[in-house]
Amino acid sequence: MELKNKIPFHFSIIFTIACIILVITFWISIVYGNADIDTSTILNAIFNYDPEDVNHNIIIDVRIPRDIGALLVGVALAVSGAGIQSVTRNSLADPSLIGLNSGAALMLALTYAVSPVITFPLLILTGFIGAMLGGTMVLMIGSSRKDGFNPVRLILAGAAVSALLSAASQAIALYFRLNQSLIFWSSGGVSGTTWQQLYTGIPVVAIIVVIFILISGQLSILNLGESIAKGLGQNVKLIRPGTMLLSMLLAGISVAIVGQIAFVGLMVPHISRFLVGTDYKKVIPLTAVLGGCLVVGADTVARLMGEAPVSAIISFIGVPYFLYLIKKGGRTI
Amino acid sequence: MNRLTGRNLTIAYGNKVIIEDLDIEIPDKKITSIIGPNGCGKSTLLKALCRLLPIKKGKIALDGTDINKSASKEIAKKIAILPQSPEVADGLTVGELVSYGRYPYQKGFGRLVPEDVEVIDWALQVTGITEFKHRIINDLSGGQKQRVWIAMALAQKTDIIFLDEPTTFLDIAHQLEILELIKELNQKQQTTIVMVLHDINQAIRFSDYMITMKDGEVITQGNIPEVLSSQLLAEVFQIDAELMQDKLTGKPMIANYQLVNRKYSKVEIK
Amino acid sequence: MIDSKLKRKQIIVCLVLTVLLFLAVTWSITSGEYKMDLSAYLKTLIGQGEFKDNLILMEFRMPRMLITLLAGMALSMSGAIIQSITKNPLAESGILGINAGGGFAIAVFIVIGQVNPNTFIYVLPLISAAGGILTALLIFLFSYNKGKGISPVNMVLIGVGLSAALSGGSITMMRKFNEDQAEFIAAWMAGNIWGDEWPFVLAFLPWILIIIPFLFFKSNSLNIINTNDQTAKSLGVNLDKERLILLIASVILSSVAVAVVGSIGFIGLMGPHIAKSFVGPRHQLFLPIALLTGAFLLVVADTVGQTVLPIGTIPAGIVVAIIGAPYFLYLMYKTNAV
Repeated sequence: MELKNKIPFHFSIIFTIACIILVITFWISIVYGNADIDTSTILNAIFNYDPEDVNHNIIIDVRIPRDIGALLVGVALAVSGAGIQSVTRNSLADPSLIGLNSGAALMLALTYAVSPVITFPLLILTGFIGAMLGGTMVLMIGSSRKDGFNPVRLILAGAAVSALLSAASQAIALYFRLNQSLIFWSSGGVSGTTWQQLYTGIPVVAIIVVIFILISGQLSILNLGESIAKGLGQNVKLIRPGTMLLSMLLAGISVAIVGQIAFVGLMVPHISRFLVGTDYKKVIPLTAVLGGCLVVGADTVARLMGEAPVSAIISFIGVPYFLYLIKKGGRTI
Repeated sequence: MNRLTGRNLTIAYGNKVIIEDLDIEIPDKKITSIIGPNGCGKSTLLKALCRLLPIKKGKIALDGTDINKSASKEIAKKIAILPQSPEVADGLTVGELVSYGRYPYQKGFGRLVPEDVEVIDWALQVTGITEFKHRIINDLSGGQKQRVWIAMALAQKTDIIFLDEPTTFLDIAHQLEILELIKELNQKQQTTIVMVLHDINQAIRFSDYMITMKDGEVITQGNIPEVLSSQLLAEVFQIDAELMQDKLTGKPMIANYQLVNRKYSKVEIK
Repeated sequence: MIDSKLKRKQIIVCLVLTVLLFLAVTWSITSGEYKMDLSAYLKTLIGQGEFKDNLILMEFRMPRMLITLLAGMALSMSGAIIQSITKNPLAESGILGINAGGGFAIAVFIVIGQVNPNTFIYVLPLISAAGGILTALLIFLFSYNKGKGISPVNMVLIGVGLSAALSGGSITMMRKFNEDQAEFIAAWMAGNIWGDEWPFVLAFLPWILIIIPFLFFKSNSLNIINTNDQTAKSLGVNLDKERLILLIASVILSSVAVAVVGSIGFIGLMGPHIAKSFVGPRHQLFLPIALLTGAFLLVVADTVGQTVLPIGTIPAGIVVAIIGAPYFLYLMYKTNAV
């Protein structure tokens, strides 16, 4: 197969530029904040950490984990979105629109209600189970018997399942008086990220993204539709649920770290496909990098606006984008 | 002078012009078929002629008045339309849908007066579906459904009926049934019929007048014996066909056809 | 051509529902912190009750009950109309983001700070209606395709997207609120019936009295619009204009309702559906049943939320969502006509 052997020249350029943008965004995000800290202090904090220095503490304990958290969530949500879009062949799919986020939030609310002190790895597991719950409900109902995953049905089922799961979360929160933490989950923010969360989060997300890159060739074939994929000899029965499961795991982790953020998984794969075409070998790596850029950037903007929820900032870009996609009529890939 | 005419028509979907500067005339009390290859603009023309599609330029006149400037309900008393494979809400009964044909005549809450009921019963009877009156439409077969829609059009009590591919998705027996019904309406009620058909032989057999189109232009319009020729079929459909006489109806029919330019068969298949 | 059997069935269903509604109302009023027993309730109702019962019934429970009834009717009616004009059996003001639009407008109104306690009650429905109409117009604008008209499918998709954005916007603004205001918006978004005094009834009633008869008057056009676009046009309906008028009327109806009872979805979905399953899709027949069903559902949901927990209450909106969302999903599973 000729398609496979070489990644074209222009992809490497685009990918390099995206990486440079990511580094710059990340740097800006560390530099700007409530406390004015200059570049040399930041470098000192990283390379000659002094536990006595307040500024060093802010950099190491607050800003850097927060930015890495934003980066991690961006990567996770964007790649998750790409996976879901490929499986459902629906360019409007997004972890939040198909019920993953609200499912994860419900399970987290339940967990907090039962035992307020819980380790982070366990929290990720609960989030994953919740995402699976929400996602499975939506996918089962959203796929009509006749034509597989119908985009409109998927979105509608997502809206209804989200309404149900959110109502259940709200009821639990009211009953156990969890209100404060619930607002946090529904509005989404990375400000509270700790190193402890990252020690678990980074390896898990990294491993899943590597798996996605390894199976990206399969995703391109899957994207052609079930019958064609079967005709080409793909093991659809394994690839589809597998991809879905990995996507749910990514969404579960993001919700456990930041709460619900929508539209990242919708927009970023689109932009990637626009830049490098539909070959998932290129789409997945670029999606990961651009997803990081988006959430880190949005978090910086949110911080500059006096700690506005990062999810709201992303919605301000995401909703017009969503409307544009519908207006354009691109309901399937 | 015929009642329905179009002058200098330009019709477009958004900015995409489908038909430009076209003149057309629909003969009264006859059956007219519009035929042509896929994408030639035949359905577009049909929809524009019955004001379902707005036109960019030109004028479509019915009895001398512009149909796009008249009250839509007034037009609905003169032209009835059967759209291509129409769908209907679940749970609606045959009688209810046919009664909607009386809408142009109703005011306010839409209570049916005795005259309406009479017309509805007549429409049901003509189309042979009186016994289905209380059945749910979506439970009926394709051919029966099509009769229900024709009954609704009849309940409008118009002199002109437009049909957009009335036989699509029907098997051959039901196709004939529907076309026979249309023919009978034309003969008994003197109804002017305009329809888009895919099957050239059916168009020849059931209509008096034929409009052939290609690439948004009318190639010929006229009575079938005058316009139908092998050259026309070659020009419009790119087929090489023989015209023979149908032993059953005495009308012409096309047979033994193949592609004029057999380019497809020249592609070598290894 | 309404079958006389069907008409009889409609009358019977209406009668049964009226009885059920009365029973639900009785259950709702006689339960609660102050237990009013049945005979006291009935006596008070015909003006022979004791002073204390009279006070509780007329000053506290009756206005809340009327608000709940009227809101249930308004939401159900609005859902029915929206379903017919979008020809989508799953559309209603909650799914389409129109409720969220009303909520967003209320949140903006509170942030700007023009809250005058005397006129608040009367202004709130207007604010909510303005937000709802604006949202609906946005949806209309984006789903309008030149040459093809309105696309019902896009309408729903855009609504879902807008709904996410508007709720997000309201939550964002909550950070600017003081505790009382934040609590109010949070309760509002959960669908807590908060307008429970006579002035709310007075502010609400005129809208209902104007719009519901108007929509009944439009039954015939609605029947035609509900067939298919080409048929409706060929029968002489001015489709885009009628759709816009009906959309605005139904949006006002639901927005005014959510202004006093909070963001409650799914009533507009369940009410019309249950009604149609009895008498079919003809508007003259099913709209009265949808009104009664909507009122019944909301009264029951509210009472369950008020009484089911040993301590505290659950807002009606949450109870409705927990019943309504599975119903919605069941309908989706059954229907192929999205």
